[in-house]
Amino acid sequence: MASIAISASLQKACSSHHVAKKQHAQTKPAYSLGTKQAIDAVTIDVEGQKGFKIDEKDQPSPQINNSEGLEDKSANKLEIESSARKFSDERWKNGTWDLNMFVRNGRMDWDSVTVAEAKRRKYLEMYPETCSNQEPVQFRSSIVPCWAWFMRTYLPEAELLNGRAAMIGFFSAYVVDGLTGMDLIGQTGNFICKTALFMTVIGIVLLRKTRDFDNLRKLADEVTYYDKQWQASWKDETASSSDKTGNS
Amino acid sequence: MSSIAFKPFHGLRRSSAVPTPTSTTTTLYKPAVKFHVSAAKTSPKLSNRNLRVAIIGGGPAGGSAAETLAKAGIETFLIERKLDNCKPCGGAIPLCMVGEFDLPLDIIDRRVTKMKMISPSNIAVDIGQTLKPHEYIGMVRREVLDAYLRDRAKENGANVINGLFLKMDMPKHWDEPYVLHYTEYDGKKGAMGAKATLEVDAVIGADGANSRVAKAINAGDYDYAIAFQERIKIPDDKMVYYENLAEMYVGDDVSPDFYGWVFPKCDHVAVGTGTVTHKNDIKKFQLATRNRAKDKILGGKIIRVEAHPIPEHPRPRRLSGRVALVGDAAGYVTKCSGEGIYFAAKSGRMCAEAIVEGSQNGKKMVDEGDLRKYLEKWDKKYWPTYKVLDVLQKVFYRSNPAREAFVEMCADEYVQKMTFDSYLYKTVAPGNPLEDLKLAVNTIGSLVRANALRKEMEKLNV
Repeated sequence: MASIAISASLQKACSSHHVAKKQHAQTKPAYSLGTKQAIDAVTIDVEGQKGFKIDEKDQPSPQINNSEGLEDKSANKLEIESSARKFSDERWKNGTWDLNMFVRNGRMDWDSVTVAEAKRRKYLEMYPETCSNQEPVQFRSSIVPCWAWFMRTYLPEAELLNGRAAMIGFFSAYVVDGLTGMDLIGQTGNFICKTALFMTVIGIVLLRKTRDFDNLRKLADEVTYYDKQWQASWKDETASSSDKTGNS
Repeated sequence: MSSIAFKPFHGLRRSSAVPTPTSTTTTLYKPAVKFHVSAAKTSPKLSNRNLRVAIIGGGPAGGSAAETLAKAGIETFLIERKLDNCKPCGGAIPLCMVGEFDLPLDIIDRRVTKMKMISPSNIAVDIGQTLKPHEYIGMVRREVLDAYLRDRAKENGANVINGLFLKMDMPKHWDEPYVLHYTEYDGKKGAMGAKATLEVDAVIGADGANSRVAKAINAGDYDYAIAFQERIKIPDDKMVYYENLAEMYVGDDVSPDFYGWVFPKCDHVAVGTGTVTHKNDIKKFQLATRNRAKDKILGGKIIRVEAHPIPEHPRPRRLSGRVALVGDAAGYVTKCSGEGIYFAAKSGRMCAEAIVEGSQNGKKMVDEGDLRKYLEKWDKKYWPTYKVLDVLQKVFYRSNPAREAFVEMCADEYVQKMTFDSYLYKTVAPGNPLEDLKLAVNTIGSLVRANALRKEMEKLNV
């Protein structure tokens, strides 16, 4: 077992992960086809990869069908596999996005850079590629300015939260005025009202859904879990003789 | 802020959680007689002999403990079951270990001065530009290192016994010795070995992740990771690339909670990966790691396949009576990097030093309080290191966007400097506060970008 020569499978010129695994499958029937392995290992994030759409040249569905027909192992099928499996896009050159191709109407279109990079990452997550020294990835996401990130992803959510805060604020001002007679100007001067306002804002930001509450509680547990494991030795000590000096 | 949905990390765990510390104390074996505790000053002097200490396990922890004890004049017995054991291990030691343990430079096969971190989308970042010319990570062969430390202990007066520890009889009264039962392999007696017993006053359990000493004192269990590694002999021209470079691959395909690695050894590379939560899929992860490194290990031949457990946190009970656990047996492996050799050796030494001090060079009997001083010292010195690495693991290994952010951040020079300083010298050094602030801002920026990309990715697949 220790001297399984993988040179035969590795020396295939094309870097098709899929083909190599098929070789293995002949010697070790336990391994399933390559695509299945890649997908199983990534089950955490990816759902329904069959519906994945890339509007560039590659199409994933013919690839998955191709895998079934790999029994023939004809040379051109191999080439189709390798070129189809590797990520390619006309705007992806030399390991980075060619920003000149993203200019629309004379202005830089950062949104499409973001979408293109997301597509690339998605593709690589589903079909992991080998990292080669000949074509290193040079792209860094910090090239996209921060305002572009906020505008695209966080703005709708910010709008939602601000709206909620405004509605709650108005409603509570009304209720407090009704109950205590303090008008809006008086409320803003009162310390209790200001604290309540602060806590409401924090609450809206952190607790968007009931699910978030559980998540936060689990997070708190998780943060202190490791500490508890370390302190276990000392818990034992305080249970025994009193002469010893307790520790933390 | 809540848009960055924090999926709890141990939600990923399939197995049940470690029992809470309070429950273990009630279910553990309670000694029939409470140990009489008194300060070392009032411990009885040993009238006609020196203190006897047995160390089970002859790895780095056992070897360094044996050396320290033997140098102080204590009668030391080191019991090791396989003197030529070629252990599966990453084999990386920090620079400070060479100095602190006076290791000769020829046991270091390779000096790694460059590392490459590769993200799930194959963004590769080189780290190591901030290293000074004399700084490196040493790669050693475990059989060479372990043998050296053991031989040095023998030279200082320790008795090295080739035997397999079976069980231990607890003393019924506080001044009775521990009786160890072991099988001695002596060549003359043949392969089966002969049963033997040994009476000692204190025991150090340095017998690794599946420690029998830990079982004997009901130390409790820990979560552990499985590290799976293949040693691959690659062609010489490809080996040049790995001359002093090690690689770390992160990604869900490679490991859901750890990393895959390619470490150069003496004349081959070790390609491996590890996981805590998805142990059954380890072979898949290994294939994925090999796939990611395929170009660079093309034409290689697998010469050895090995696997071993890595403890994730210390056992609930590291000390009982005059028996202490050190090294992997105690669970002293850091998170995030999975480093254990240095901490094993250091804990062995610290425990031995505590025994030497408590017994005043072997003239007096030790008691549990003296051994507890070793725990105190250890926790105080290395707790920050462990905690920081735990936080790093929890934040940056939890999902692919987090890993992308992690690799991006490693490109920063300040991060590299802090990382290497703390790794090579084992101190959590406080950096420049202004740089720390910039680092915090950059971290948040990276996480924000990575999560924004993840949202885009989710939108692509409804």
